[in-house]
Amino acid sequence: MTIQINLNQPPFSFLKDEQLDWLTSRLDLVFFNAGALILQQGVPAPGIYIIYKGLVEERDGETGQVFSQYGKEDLFDVRAVLENGCKHTFAAVEETLCYLLRADDFIQLLDQSGDFSIYFNTDLGTQQSMVERQDSSVSEFILSRVDEDVIRPPVYVSAQTSLARVAALMYEKKHDALLVRDGEEIGILTGTDLVKATLLGDKTKQTRAADVAQFNLIGVEYGEFLFSALLKMTQHKIERVVVRKEGQIVGLLELMDMLSTFSTHSHIIAMRIDQAKSLKELVVAAKRLEILIETLNGQGVKITALMELVTTLNRRLIFKAFELIFPPRLRQSVCILVLGSEGRGEQILKTDQDNAIILNNEHDREAVLPLLQQLHQALLDFGYPPCPGGVMFINDSWIHTVEGWQERVARWLDSGNPDAMMNMAIFMDGEPVCGNPELFWPIKASWQLETLRSSIVSARFAKPALQFETPLTFLGNIREDHGNIDIKKGAIFPLVHGVRAMAFEHAIDECNTLERLTILMEKGVLDSETAQGLRDALVFFLRIRLRQQLEHDAPNRGLSQQLDINQLRSVDRNLLRHALHRVKKFKQQLSLHFHLENF
Amino acid sequence: MLRRWIEERLPRRMLPEGRWAHLAEPYEGDEVVVLDCETSVFDKKKGELLSVAAVRVRGNQIRLAESLDLTIRSDAVTDPNAVRIHYLRREDRLEGVALAEAIEKLLDFIGNRPICGFYIEYDRAILNRYIRELYNFRLPNRFIEVSEIYVKSKRRHHIHEVHLDLTFEGLARDLQVPIVERHTAMGDVISTALMYIKLTGFGQSR
Repeated sequence: MTIQINLNQPPFSFLKDEQLDWLTSRLDLVFFNAGALILQQGVPAPGIYIIYKGLVEERDGETGQVFSQYGKEDLFDVRAVLENGCKHTFAAVEETLCYLLRADDFIQLLDQSGDFSIYFNTDLGTQQSMVERQDSSVSEFILSRVDEDVIRPPVYVSAQTSLARVAALMYEKKHDALLVRDGEEIGILTGTDLVKATLLGDKTKQTRAADVAQFNLIGVEYGEFLFSALLKMTQHKIERVVVRKEGQIVGLLELMDMLSTFSTHSHIIAMRIDQAKSLKELVVAAKRLEILIETLNGQGVKITALMELVTTLNRRLIFKAFELIFPPRLRQSVCILVLGSEGRGEQILKTDQDNAIILNNEHDREAVLPLLQQLHQALLDFGYPPCPGGVMFINDSWIHTVEGWQERVARWLDSGNPDAMMNMAIFMDGEPVCGNPELFWPIKASWQLETLRSSIVSARFAKPALQFETPLTFLGNIREDHGNIDIKKGAIFPLVHGVRAMAFEHAIDECNTLERLTILMEKGVLDSETAQGLRDALVFFLRIRLRQQLEHDAPNRGLSQQLDINQLRSVDRNLLRHALHRVKKFKQQLSLHFHLENF
Repeated sequence: MLRRWIEERLPRRMLPEGRWAHLAEPYEGDEVVVLDCETSVFDKKKGELLSVAAVRVRGNQIRLAESLDLTIRSDAVTDPNAVRIHYLRREDRLEGVALAEAIEKLLDFIGNRPICGFYIEYDRAILNRYIRELYNFRLPNRFIEVSEIYVKSKRRHHIHEVHLDLTFEGLARDLQVPIVERHTAMGDVISTALMYIKLTGFGQSR
């Protein structure tokens, strides 16, 4: 018997094929007239309903308040089955056809399938990460770090060991390289070294290991990104590096071992950026970045990992362009900041340039201005559209000395008007990427003030978080405008800005919203449930936005904020509704916290 | 009509006996069986049974989980036009169950429940032909014709039969019933069952 709904989506896709077949054979079809009661408050449910056609409303049995609506392929009500009784009433709004999976059959499936039952017994975040994990066909280790999984434990020999013994050990341990301890010093001896020394050179089997070993070890720190290890190998034309942890050698990292876990193009782009000798080459690398994002997203790389990778690569790109344009003598006397989403490390597809510069000496301004023009042009060529608000280091108002910036910040905070507050917000998310980062810290300190706690300035700063309405109807459904919602105004901005306002008030150094949330939680400003809920919501918003942006083929698709609700799978629509509710609740929390109702 | 009237009033004729005696007992339950047969050619006398599907319907529920969907093992030459309708090729049919077994299963499934269908006269004739051959009786069950209930319900609204589209598709459209895999026995059964539920005013839970 074939079933007229797509069971090839979460949560059913967590089931094995034979479990899915069994489920299919256990379904009944039930018809409800418009207005018919399907489940009654307080009464146990016969099972899980999956809607084939029609519309069902969940309401409070007494007050009639509507909580939610369910459409094609949505299912309800798990709680009623698991908890022996419905909390609310479910009624058909229009003629509705549902498949019915009986309660005992459903429970049997829960018992049989771990993932299936975890899905139903967990919160939004876990559900979402399960969905995300399922969406990925290939697990991607692009952002893996140097750890136990890729390194080999070191094998040591003494300086006196003969080459013959070294060769035997290599064979026995199946290692292509051994470490040689000579007093305080440690060297490395590889198979290639052996061959060169004996067959190509004049050394014999009895030669001491220390005579052949190389003592200028090249190493990486334990926990570093794998691709930086790969870059080191490429730079030095070697095939292995030693791995150090707190100064101690803990293992060897072999190129071959690494490539087997690390097979994407990201390192190629990283290398291209690093080795570029002209801006032209950088432009080529920048264009590839977009393709990389598409591939990685297609392979199901987690959005947080993707953000981290893209941020790293973007910053390398700007840094390299800076190196190519700025002569060495000027590099340390400026500090270039990326602001906004780029500063927070939350940019995936390129959005507009938001940046600023700090000068060490006012008299460098003349020399620096033409260079900044060049750098700006380079960024345009890389595909970053100009900022419509002019937040760019080519505009006078975003070029200042340390003192100049400190004054500017003070003026922003004093004036308290909304524009000044938004400038403060953009600047607050700044992250130094080129030049001398030391120039930034005294400026940052100028707004990290104890006096801001519970002050009117913090409240004014927080206020814009409430300026856009959450796209939810008063019935609790997604309020769409011709099938779209503005995901930035309706969801991402209020969340990010609210968290930023709290970070501002509590002088938190971090710029990344997810990290800010962690710190706010540690400081006890937010409870862990709220913080986790907001993290999940943000990651979810970014994920579905990216997915739809990638489907556009426009040159500046990263700027598109319209989310087409009808393109979302039913499971994502559900998650979206939950996530929007979190944002709405957070806004109420902000309003209370900052007493925003008084403004 | 007359023949049927006489048959129904001559209770001792062709009634099941022995193993099937219970089919003739009056039905006390609240279920009906909706069934549909697909045959090699559309002919009461010559059409060979290729597949049969049946579900029990109670109130607003179609008990799909306990449904019957049988393909009959037969190598009857199919009418090429019919294949285009039901998609049962000879190759598919060779995988099926033996005819006698299918009829036995079907009778067990139906019991003495009323039998409902679209143009059920045809299915009744086909099934009776086989049952007579095998067990020498005719189905004593009550038969319910979906299009008949439809016409009656329309008549209540003073819409005359001649104004109605009495095809399967016509009924489905007017009653807003989804057509599920038309011309597979099971697909037609589900649509017919939905028509029956809607026409009998069920669909109101509790």
